[in-house]
Amino acid sequence: MSTEEAHDDHGHHLPAVQDWPRGFGEASWWPFVTAVGGAGIYAGAGLYVMGQDGIVGQTAGPAVFIGSIFLFLAGLYGWLYHAFVSHFWSRDASQKSASKLRWGMIAFLGSELGTFGALFAYYFFIRAGTWPPQELPHLTGSLVLANTAILIVSSFTLHWAHVAIREENHRNFILGLAVTLLLGAVFIGGQVYEYYEFIVHSNFSITDGIFGSAFYGLTGLHGLHVSLGAVLLGIVFVRALRGQYSAERHVSVSTASMYWHFVDVVWIFLVVVLYVGAEVGA
Amino acid sequence: MEVNGQLALTVLMGVFLIAVAAWLARVEDWRSYTPLAGGGTVGGTAEQYVSEEKPSGVIRWLTTVDHKDIGMLYGAYALVAFAVGGLMVVLMRIELADPSMTLISNTFYNSLLTSHGITMLFLFGTPIIAAFSNYFIPLLIGADDMAFPRINAIAFWLLPPAALLIWAGFFPIPDVIPAQTAWTMYTPLSAGVGSGNQMNAGVDLMLLGLHLSGVSATMGAINFIATIFTERNEKVSWANLDIFSWTILTQSGLILFAFPLLGSAIVMLLLDRNFGTMFFSVDGGAILWQHLFWFFGHPEVYILVLPPMGIVSLVLPRFAGRRLFGFKFVVYSTLAIGVLSFGVWAHHMFATGIDPRLRASFMAVSLAIAIPSAVKTFNWITTMWNGKIRLTTPMLFCIGFVSNFIIGGVTGVFLASIPVDLVLHDTYYVVGHFHYIVMGAIAFAGFAGLYYWFPIYTGRMYQVTLGKWHFWLSMVGTNLTFFAMILLGYGGMPRRYATYLPQFATLHQVATVGALILLVGQIIFVWNFVQSWLEGREVQDGDPWDLADDDLVTAEWTWFERKLETAVTDGGEDETELATDGGQTVDDTDADAESADDA
Ligand code: HEM
Ligand SMILES: [Cu+2]
Repeated sequence: MSTEEAHDDHGHHLPAVQDWPRGFGEASWWPFVTAVGGAGIYAGAGLYVMGQDGIVGQTAGPAVFIGSIFLFLAGLYGWLYHAFVSHFWSRDASQKSASKLRWGMIAFLGSELGTFGALFAYYFFIRAGTWPPQELPHLTGSLVLANTAILIVSSFTLHWAHVAIREENHRNFILGLAVTLLLGAVFIGGQVYEYYEFIVHSNFSITDGIFGSAFYGLTGLHGLHVSLGAVLLGIVFVRALRGQYSAERHVSVSTASMYWHFVDVVWIFLVVVLYVGAEVGA
Repeated sequence: MEVNGQLALTVLMGVFLIAVAAWLARVEDWRSYTPLAGGGTVGGTAEQYVSEEKPSGVIRWLTTVDHKDIGMLYGAYALVAFAVGGLMVVLMRIELADPSMTLISNTFYNSLLTSHGITMLFLFGTPIIAAFSNYFIPLLIGADDMAFPRINAIAFWLLPPAALLIWAGFFPIPDVIPAQTAWTMYTPLSAGVGSGNQMNAGVDLMLLGLHLSGVSATMGAINFIATIFTERNEKVSWANLDIFSWTILTQSGLILFAFPLLGSAIVMLLLDRNFGTMFFSVDGGAILWQHLFWFFGHPEVYILVLPPMGIVSLVLPRFAGRRLFGFKFVVYSTLAIGVLSFGVWAHHMFATGIDPRLRASFMAVSLAIAIPSAVKTFNWITTMWNGKIRLTTPMLFCIGFVSNFIIGGVTGVFLASIPVDLVLHDTYYVVGHFHYIVMGAIAFAGFAGLYYWFPIYTGRMYQVTLGKWHFWLSMVGTNLTFFAMILLGYGGMPRRYATYLPQFATLHQVATVGALILLVGQIIFVWNFVQSWLEGREVQDGDPWDLADDDLVTAEWTWFERKLETAVTDGGEDETELATDGGQTVDDTDADAESADDA
């Protein structure tokens, strides 16, 4: 069946015209590669557990885990590259495709409420019990306040970048992204430093009581999200450096920003209930 | 030394992967596509690269991003899982045929029980729904494809490994045993606490598999939300969106909040098991797990039942010769169930000693949620009232759905009342209640869909008589098995035991006979399905159910008609097959046969 006919009898746009394997309209290896990588991460975790029990070698788990992460990233790269990046300027960029990406991100953020919800529920559950359940480390130090300020500022710089691209100001756009990324990196560094302080100097780690589980569970999950957000912004940044985006074409800038602002809001909530909330009345 | 070895291995793996990627990049040359001269905005121009839509052979299935293919993959996957879960339970029912039976050990019984539940809910239930929604939602709403075709494919391909992880305990891996936690995975048992053997890696593997299947379901839900919101054809407004799409939209909304929450709870459990955290070892940690689990778990039952309700609401009117009665109210009740289903979870915990005030409010909402369900039932019945009923196989399954749903729903209302529940909790009555719904309703709707759309996805017609046999055996088997369970529950038979007191023998034997009847019915189904797919009579008419007579044609059949027309005129592969068919006009004869033998 030639394309012409294919086009006639379906009358629709084929989703994967530029992809690997090439020459087909509805075929792509990337989802399969990505899924194998993603599943491999789980298999690696499983092997790790089995390794702890001495069922398989100790190295099998970590090796599969890390190898799969690479495979997963390779799949993601190929997928994003072919679906969004490679033919950026020639791709069909209707209002519709922009809004579907926005809806996709909104729905994803909705699912994040569930992901965070379970851990917050856990925390509220123990917070409602005897408090404090154990000796708490000193939580609301200057580090947290500085880190919070940094993350909030990064939301503003990102917004500033977003406004810039809408005004076709590429210089400020790139500048804003760069500053945001930098602030994000500093934030992650601050978190790592805080963990270091707690674990090494305050003797407070994830295995230390129920508050340890709650604290590291929540901040760890949030840290993962900031890291993912930084990766997303990093991708946007690289694409911006390569001259993509314009006043009319900046969907992924908006979706990545939505994600970043969301993570920022979660952080503020987290600081209030987990850091401050744990100390109030303790 | 050990650590260095690990590092070296890891680096080696990384280098190896990069090398493979580089090699593939060169072989496939996938980066060298140059976009056409800038400025082009229409996707169409890019299609000059394309010679065909899909590769051939296995590669087609591994690489496909076509929603119809992915729907078929989901369907095949779900039916395999249905067979696995079904055979597990047949073993269990044989063990229960006699109190002194020792066909399998008690622990193995527990393992089968656990895996049966998880397989049926997560590997059969959710995927069989995804099969229909992937194939038909884009057709029904006039979209080119799903909003994110590649995410759609990823979501599917995460499922086979999820199944392997969930079943891993059964594989002959030394020292790994299957989980015995039951599908609810209550702590502290599932946290591996105590002297039992639930610290085994088999439990971790199952939890990982479950998490993976949840990721897949969430990706699917995001995709459906984006698709239904943005990919509708201009002619499809909210006011005339079909009922199946409405239920899928609501279901996706439920998945969006429920599955990630379960995911986090599972991760917390895994951390407790392997990294010494104390999430569920706090005072009341067992109750905490139940809250989290059922906050997911009750919406999950509506995640499973809403789309089948949608299928029935779509199919049943086609064979009643009239439109769905009170369409609007069916939509409203769907939305109402969607909202309310997040407010009833603690009705699974009435017997745990939670605060009585809490208990009473959950009782109230649980009773309330029966109302929208009853509204739907009322509408299905009124649709058939004075209708021109054609008892085709899909219609029989729809009617079976309504009938079983009534029994399942009414028993549910009794359970929602605290005093009654305190007597019946953890007895076979509960098992009977939810099986009337999961088997009697959800699976029945799945079959209705499989038969109704059989011509679309196979191009052929199934064998009518075998379809009827399948229905009647399923209907009789379901009611025999699960009604016996309801009676067992009244008698006080607790659930989840591999043996029982002699006084329960008769009813247990009835249930086992019912299960075997179900098994025979499903064997007939498989035979009919496979054989008709390969050799069934070809459908040449785009409207094999004669929906046009009553002006009830829906978009997917219009699409099918168009596809048949182009297949015939373009002289493609289909023509040769038509020729060898002996020129018999299948479609009409078949539809006539259907109605004739129903008359
Ligand atoms: C008419 C509305 C319904 C009401 C009021 C209702 C009520 C209940 C109640 C109170 C229980 C807890 C019984 C106990 O453990 O003591 C229960 C259990 C259950 N229900 Fe329903 N139900 C309804 C509909 C459904 C539907 C539509 C499904 C499936 C799609 C379903 C599936 C289940 C399952 C799976 C369980 C058992 C969970 C377990 O303990 O393993 N129910 N139901
Ligand atoms: Cu429930």
